[in-house]
Amino acid sequence: MPRWGMVIDLDKCFACQSCTAACRMENNTPIAGPDQAILGRAILWNEVLPFLEGEYPLVHATMIPRPCMHCDNPPCTAVCPVRATYKNEEGIVVVDYQRCIGCRMCTVACPYAIRYFNWFPPEWPQALKQHLNPDPEVAPRPKGVVEKCTFCIQRLHRAREKAAAEGRTFQATDYMPACVQTCTGHARYFGDLDDPNSLVSKLSHSPRAFRLLEELGTEPKVYYLKQG
Amino acid sequence: MDNHQAENQTPGNHLTRRDFVKIGATAAAIGAAAMALKPTVGAPAASALSEQVTRPEETLVKTTCALCPSGCGLDVRVVNGRAVKVEGNPLHPLNQGVCCLRAQASLEILYSPERLAHPRIQMGRRGSGDWKEVSWDEALALVVQKLSDLRKNGQAHTLALVHGETRGQMRSLIHRFMQAYGSPNVIGRESLADQVARQAMFLTQGINGLPVYDLNNASYVMCFGGNLLETNRNVIVHLGAVAFMRRGRPQRGKLVSVHPRLNLTGIKADEWVPVRPGTYGALALGMANVIINSKLYDEKFVRDFTFGFEDFTDVNGNLHQGFKNLVLEQYTLERVSKITGAPTETIARLAGEFATNRPAVAIMPNEIAELNSGNSLYTAMAIHALNALVGSIDVQGGVLVQRFPDLEQWPDYTPDDAAVQGLSQPRIDGAGSAQYPLAISIYQNLPDALLSGEPYPLNALMLLNTNPVLDLPQNGRMVAALEKVPFIVSIASTLDATAALADVVLPSATFLEVWGDDFMEGVGYAGVSLRRPVVELVQDNRNPADILLQVAAQLGGSLEQALPWSDYQTLFRQRLSATPLDWEKVESNGFWAEMVYFYAQPGSPAWANIVGRDRLNAPKDGRFDFYSRELAAILSNDTMNDLDCLPHFVLPEALEEVVHEAQEYPFLLISQSLITQTQSWQGTIPTLQECLGLQGNVKWRSWVEINPKAAEALGLHDGDVVWVESHIDRIQATVRVYPGIWPNVVFMPLGMGRHTMTKWGRNAPEQMIVGSNPNRLVDIRSEPLSGQAIIGPARVKIYKA
Repeated sequence: MPRWGMVIDLDKCFACQSCTAACRMENNTPIAGPDQAILGRAILWNEVLPFLEGEYPLVHATMIPRPCMHCDNPPCTAVCPVRATYKNEEGIVVVDYQRCIGCRMCTVACPYAIRYFNWFPPEWPQALKQHLNPDPEVAPRPKGVVEKCTFCIQRLHRAREKAAAEGRTFQATDYMPACVQTCTGHARYFGDLDDPNSLVSKLSHSPRAFRLLEELGTEPKVYYLKQG
Repeated sequence: MDNHQAENQTPGNHLTRRDFVKIGATAAAIGAAAMALKPTVGAPAASALSEQVTRPEETLVKTTCALCPSGCGLDVRVVNGRAVKVEGNPLHPLNQGVCCLRAQASLEILYSPERLAHPRIQMGRRGSGDWKEVSWDEALALVVQKLSDLRKNGQAHTLALVHGETRGQMRSLIHRFMQAYGSPNVIGRESLADQVARQAMFLTQGINGLPVYDLNNASYVMCFGGNLLETNRNVIVHLGAVAFMRRGRPQRGKLVSVHPRLNLTGIKADEWVPVRPGTYGALALGMANVIINSKLYDEKFVRDFTFGFEDFTDVNGNLHQGFKNLVLEQYTLERVSKITGAPTETIARLAGEFATNRPAVAIMPNEIAELNSGNSLYTAMAIHALNALVGSIDVQGGVLVQRFPDLEQWPDYTPDDAAVQGLSQPRIDGAGSAQYPLAISIYQNLPDALLSGEPYPLNALMLLNTNPVLDLPQNGRMVAALEKVPFIVSIASTLDATAALADVVLPSATFLEVWGDDFMEGVGYAGVSLRRPVVELVQDNRNPADILLQVAAQLGGSLEQALPWSDYQTLFRQRLSATPLDWEKVESNGFWAEMVYFYAQPGSPAWANIVGRDRLNAPKDGRFDFYSRELAAILSNDTMNDLDCLPHFVLPEALEEVVHEAQEYPFLLISQSLITQTQSWQGTIPTLQECLGLQGNVKWRSWVEINPKAAEALGLHDGDVVWVESHIDRIQATVRVYPGIWPNVVFMPLGMGRHTMTKWGRNAPEQMIVGSNPNRLVDIRSEPLSGQAIIGPARVKIYKA
């Protein structure tokens, strides 16, 4: 079984937010609208977060694109009272929207704040529903459940089906999430962390590599390569 | 739950949570309930279940984006006739499989609820909203009738066509249409953005066109203003190139961003150099001073392939000052430091780095509102002069010249009397006149020309995907100016602020529904990308190019002769037949490109295409002009002096220290557009609104960035709602205290203040205005010679609302 992971090279990330938009279009996250957005309720599984330090003119800004870290030791799954969220056998942390009771314990437990709660039924103007991704895994989530980045698990399913239909063995390179595919600086890498020959595995051992809030022991599977 | 509510929601999501659990418990085997079960992610049942559902028909259609001037190749995933996802075309040389967030969100344009379904005619007073939807035949008949009457009455020149960004041969088509019709008045938006960069390229290097910067191979890249990594014309090429410059090759290059604001380019650059707004020209000349003083310039290139570096004597025996002495005398480090606000050590260091880390390029911005401070022409020339100084013309990692595919000549036609008579008239915007000899068109002169009726009043105005009421509010003058025109027709996709004031609106199809061509720009070599319908027309709309061809056919006369094609696809295929294209391949790859750029050796025969190719008055001697001989010929009059032909610096009016103004309006307002905006669509794109202001995490509204010191002095805090007021008008914005901005400069994003009639989100109003338009604070005027718009900096004050 592969252990899926991602590497984001901050030297090549230009904070263009192409990943943010690609994620929304791929995963059917709803339009928040102005009044919900101002409350911080815009659901963007893959937001780019600004961190500003220093005073003018010596300002240092770091832009961190933040998908779910898919921790090997996820704090969110441990607190779920109904086991609606769990780490699957390939290391991807997913939510079973049918089991989720909307208690939001996981949302609080996640140190990376990547979990979003559906306060209302998802809404689009009628015309815009035409572009929704028809993949069954990303059908719009109902009111009252928590949702998050799944490493575009529907793409993993499609890639496996495609490999099977073509009568060949599924390769780790057959599958990549939407944010990786669209990254304008080619800053994102995706693959099997357990395969020592994979690019992600090699990059995750780079001297530039770090993980967010590593000290918490969550063992994130998203690595960053520092700038410069 | 009533029917109405159910209609407005996607299957599955109108369920409340309680319903959902109930159904989920019993529905496993029921077909209809498959929908309800779909949300199960990661559960083993999911893939097994989806196999029971018939696999939908799925294709990947290749087309070309039109949301910014780049023109990236796209792969659109189409399922059962609906476009559901956009990716970059991996084969396309510009974007190589990636695409930006605008392309990602383009499906929200295709299926936008704001799109107009049918042509419409204004029944009541203009702007009353009393529209009648009509058939295309009826709408076109009305337009043709009006246009035909003008021609019959010898008033063809009183039609003006104002257009936004055009792609491929659309611009030539528009010009040919208007020429055959008999009007000189084709007005584009380029005077707000890149016109001056083209002029500087023409006046110095003798090339008509924008420079191409070979960042893949450059060692040192310096952006004088602009926003290279966010809104540049070729942003996607630059993003890929800068990534390659850093991590794709053994020697890492350096990127420097000069701008009063720490924009995304500044954040991601290796160094940010804050300067006072509008003083890039002084900085470039100060760097030239250091480079010349230290003899770090490319002496051989400057001696053999440039003109006007040293003082020289002309044929009449008059002595003229050259670039070297001007720079050494006028632009000392101390003076430049005083003008720009950058420390002398920084300027000297940058100059040294620039001259010794070759190949180095100095980049002229081509974004909207970047070179728009009233000194833009000479600023652009000063920036480009640095490239010649270090010999970066047409070398690897330097400034290249864009090649284009060969085109078949337009067929000949005989202009009829109406056309000949109309074309003898002057342009209404003054472009090409003695006052603005370099300008091709001057968008911002439109309101005053209409209001004054000089040189003659207009009888008809045709707008093509452009919204002058938003771009040029001009203190209400644009709206009043439209009142002066008896007949206005707008080719637009949504009912934007200008279309709302038209008599006839012809709905334009989006780029995802039409055939089109697109020249590859920003890579140097020639190429053309194909745009094609990815889905059937979503609305009863037409390709704007086809509309022009249909109007031409119905008008007859020289128009019918000049534009004999039935549709745009036949037109561009025939025109491109001069280039040996395998159309089957173009269709399957989405593009054709030469893929190799051939550099020219200075002095070789090929060099004639790099320096001096398009000169009209100056000699085509293969010499780059520090002293513009082209400009000397254009200006040849008694009052001209050497300074008029040399790059120099003029302080923008707003920066002059007039005490009472500085006290009343202490801040300088600059505006930039963002990567989350597009100039090519006048409606709302909700996903882009929710990614709008990255640094300050602002969505769906306008903000004003202010330095922490200034905010403290005014007692303002992050999130306060304030008025930003100039001597003309005031607008509202939310305060963002931002350390990355020059202390007395404030920033607001462009492109805001659009009206929307759609309810976006749960508690949103039925209609609203998204953000506020900073152009309302500026009386946009025109710079002499170039006709470039003077947009900023504008003087403003800020106080709590």
